Amino acid sequence: MIISVKNLVKRYGNLVALDHLSFDVEEGEILGLLGPNGSGKTTAINCILSLLKYDKGEIRIFGRPMRPDAYDIKRDIGVIMQNVAVFDELTVYENINYFCGLYIPEKEKRKRLVEEAIDFVGLNDFRRFYPKKLSGGLLRRLNIACGIAHKPKLILLDEPTVAVDPQSRNNILEGIQRLNREGATIVYTSHYMEEVEQICSRIIILDKGKVIANGTKEELKNMISLGEKITVETSAIHPEHLAALRRIPGADSVEYANGLLVVKSGKSKNNLENVLDFLKKQQIGYGRIYSELPTLNDVFLEITGKELRD
Amino acid sequence: MFFHIFTNRLKCLLRDRMMIFWTLLFPILLAVFFNMSLRNIASSETFRPVPAAVVNDAGYQKNAGFRSALKSVSEGKDKIFSLTETTRKNAERLLEDGKIAGYLTVGDKIKIVVNRSDFDQSIIKSFVDSYLQTSSAAESILKANPPARSGLSAGLSGETDYLKAVSGGSADPDPSLNYFYSLIAMACLYGGFWGMKEVMDIQANQSRRAARVNLAPVRKLKTFLSGMAASLAIAFAEMLVLLAFLRFALNLNFGPKAGLVIFTSFVGSVVGLSFGAFLSSLVKAGENMKVGILISGTMFCSFLSGMMYQDMKYIVEKNAPVLGYLNPVNLLTDSFYCLYYYDTYGRYLLNIGLLGAFVLLFCAGTYFVIRREKYASL
Repeated sequence: MIISVKNLVKRYGNLVALDHLSFDVEEGEILGLLGPNGSGKTTAINCILSLLKYDKGEIRIFGRPMRPDAYDIKRDIGVIMQNVAVFDELTVYENINYFCGLYIPEKEKRKRLVEEAIDFVGLNDFRRFYPKKLSGGLLRRLNIACGIAHKPKLILLDEPTVAVDPQSRNNILEGIQRLNREGATIVYTSHYMEEVEQICSRIIILDKGKVIANGTKEELKNMISLGEKITVETSAIHPEHLAALRRIPGADSVEYANGLLVVKSGKSKNNLENVLDFLKKQQIGYGRIYSELPTLNDVFLEITGKELRD
Repeated sequence: MFFHIFTNRLKCLLRDRMMIFWTLLFPILLAVFFNMSLRNIASSETFRPVPAAVVNDAGYQKNAGFRSALKSVSEGKDKIFSLTETTRKNAERLLEDGKIAGYLTVGDKIKIVVNRSDFDQSIIKSFVDSYLQTSSAAESILKANPPARSGLSAGLSGETDYLKAVSGGSADPDPSLNYFYSLIAMACLYGGFWGMKEVMDIQANQSRRAARVNLAPVRKLKTFLSGMAASLAIAFAEMLVLLAFLRFALNLNFGPKAGLVIFTSFVGSVVGLSFGAFLSSLVKAGENMKVGILISGTMFCSFLSGMMYQDMKYIVEKNAPVLGYLNPVNLLTDSFYCLYYYDTYGRYLLNIGLLGAFVLLFCAGTYFVIRREKYASL
């Protein structure tokens, strides 16, 4: 067990940010922490790192209790914060060297690690640049390099791809997977479902400071009632057709708008053939047809609800 | 580890242009400005001989006593008048052209002719009044006691001071130095910028960088003290540059105790640094608010110690002496002046002792706040 969080409670006045939160992180996994805004992801990370005081609970990392002065534990942790945290007055190289130096006192070893980190995030051409001269994507990469240069065994990434272009995002995600392959255990928080779906081996969904779902993506998808979603491009659907389609077994929802017929089926139902048969029988012309299985986004929305959050 | 943090903090701090401006360039610019202003005041206060004329006619030639008295104050380095002996007509013309402040005619009476009443004209009048008074006294004495003639001249020309000025030290009193000394004190307190930055870079609830630093396996106090050492090195180096500029570029007199002046600057740097750290640890608001408080607080303390208005220091000393002891800028200003003026060290040591107490207070307060390693919120 790399991280063990038990019954963690954190209050801000009357607001309960973490409500008896419990979860574990196994060695070698990439754990995705998902949740709407204000669900407690960042608070949980900060408590785990002993930056934030908490009211109740127990946190153990590498089997030992985590405290602010647990330097032997901290030595093996790398953190990439939600916001870029580097010194504007130091160059790319100097920033990485400074933060790495807080973990690795030996100069020669540190030099090698800094070079590896620069290579890893692809900042070789920018090593003498000051952060203010870097684009958003490059800055994020620098932020990552500062967090991982000392080769930690456990890496916590708190929404590291916010405001990053697709190329840089891809680069960052590949990097995280590479770190995992090299042996690091990863805890990854994000709003971006496709990122979590792409890289995480296990996902925890938090809401209102509680774990409301925990499992692999397949396990999570099995938790919801939603199954297949069939979308048909057609312009000749009348209300009586919709009524008839709704009578197809397992068709939970049938809607038609803007020339798109959408039929959603319950879990484990395959209605593509039935819908096509119906269209043929009724001699309704159609264009393209899409059949989609539920995504993590569907899981997320179904579990956490669709109402707007802060 | 200390060296790693120290060198990187040095780089960070030295590359912060805004901080360098406020802590080094601003005091230097202010010193140049003070120097220019005080030089103008000094030149405007230098005595200039009064241009005057006397009508050189028979009456003047006949009154040997007056002629002699007038010539005696119109010659030499410290002369009062720049005198022209001329005709009445020429004297009138000179007066109309504004080349003289007035002219004198000597007959039965001595008359002063002026075309306006001002400082120079008052000087001419004072001289004539003084002469008439003295000559009248001499006449009366001679009438009553003719043998007194021999000692009369010395008796009337000499003036006796019944007050004796005793200097507190070997140097001449020069209150204008206080402008510069309070400026140095202000610069010391501006070292607070460095202390402020150190706290912001170590308190996880004040900056993201600090949060990252807090996650590293290094004792917080060690990181903080390493950074403070770098800050102190810069603050003190800046003070040395400022002192050198004042001494060698502006010829400011610091008195003979150069070593103690440097020591006082070092104490000032420590006071400034600890003040900034304390302020930053107390005030949770953003950086701009902290900078605003630091600048306005220092400026107010500098004002009370006479940086903008010289007499303010004495007004405070007279009406609220405690305020003077509670004002680090005033204590530093006074310390520099003590080193310049006094031969004894009592007052200087009292100032340094009080500054030491301030340092202890600021350091204890800062430690009390930053020793926390977990935060209620970030």
